Amino acid sequence: MAKEQKEVRDLQEGNYVMIDDAACEINAYSTAKPGKHGSAKARIEAEGVFDGKKRSLSQPVDAKIWVPIINRKQGQVVSVESDDVAQVMDLETYDTITIKTPGDVSLSPDDEIEYLEMEEQRKILE
Amino acid sequence: MFPGASADREEAEYVVVGAPLDVSTTFQPGARFGPERIRRFARTYDDYDARTDRHFSDLGVHDHGDVRAWDDAAEYLEYLEGVLTDVRWDDAVPLTLGGEHTVTIAGVRAVDPDVFVCLDAHLDLREEYDGNELSHATVTRHALDAADEALILGARTGSEAEYERAAEADVTVVPPESVGEWSPEFDADESVYLSVDIDGADPGFAPGTGTMEPFGLTPREMRDAVRDVADTGAVEGFDVVEVNDRDDGQAAALGGKLLREFVFADAAVADSDD
Repeated sequence: MAKEQKEVRDLQEGNYVMIDDAACEINAYSTAKPGKHGSAKARIEAEGVFDGKKRSLSQPVDAKIWVPIINRKQGQVVSVESDDVAQVMDLETYDTITIKTPGDVSLSPDDEIEYLEMEEQRKILE
Repeated sequence: MFPGASADREEAEYVVVGAPLDVSTTFQPGARFGPERIRRFARTYDDYDARTDRHFSDLGVHDHGDVRAWDDAAEYLEYLEGVLTDVRWDDAVPLTLGGEHTVTIAGVRAVDPDVFVCLDAHLDLREEYDGNELSHATVTRHALDAADEALILGARTGSEAEYERAAEADVTVVPPESVGEWSPEFDADESVYLSVDIDGADPGFAPGTGTMEPFGLTPREMRDAVRDVADTGAVEGFDVVEVNDRDDGQAAALGGKLLREFVFADAAVADSDD
């Protein structure tokens, strides 16, 4: 999987981070001060990019952590198969992919969309 | 470690979190020593509780230790709220040991209850104290940002403006002399946060606190109120705050005992629901 390593201190709200092997977007980041002894700790609250599940982690700020590389891509709707599945053509590679549509988005053929892609996981941006 | 709080974090039903914040105390400082002092004076308590026929060490209590405090209260509360949110996400009840009463704000934000119930000598409804919006005298007002309703048991002092605020529909004040007859009435689906400010007790019983206020509650009245609220099964977060080290352990002993009373009563309700 495409990913890079960072220190916890380099992360901020809006960044991606891997928690429990899932790619997550950071919603909240808070740090505890270290005092004279011990090291500063950060707590990250994040939501799974592809599964929407909330996760958190607490780590020293100098700990190493994996950050997933998620591509933002553009596509065009070829056909709508059902309320929650559509065929989309990638506008860069012209590959056609099957993609799940979020509940509150209604698509029609020829609509241009943006989506996130990490390996075989994809998510349409609303 | 709080005596008997020997459960693993993964299996815990309750998680003790020390929050030794001590920055806005207006009179006698020392709340920073509260968490360790409460743990120390709970050492002599028997593990077994005859009333509920249970052992404290069987009730799934874990001690997270202290979240070290620093002097930026807003930043500290944000971090503490995160720690307490993790407890909630693990389906456990946070049991916070203060520290000054300000730490309750983090607990209430993490739990987001419908009703805030507090044993306290003070209304704590100020918008600010000495220019500080995060003073320990503003806790109930902050709690009302999350909760729809506040019940203050044992309150006996406040400013004129606080009493005017307390007269509004979302605040109920039960004076010390009426706490004995009070019993909780929550709607079936309401969630509750219960905060015990040890200065709700008469200072003769709990002198180790920052702002003593005479004519207070007896320990038995506090115990019965804590049990009654716990018996509803609606409590999702609990704390004991404002214990300091300026006595011979009376305030800490009472605080630790009330925490145990809460856990025994709450665990008994959870068992009867199963």
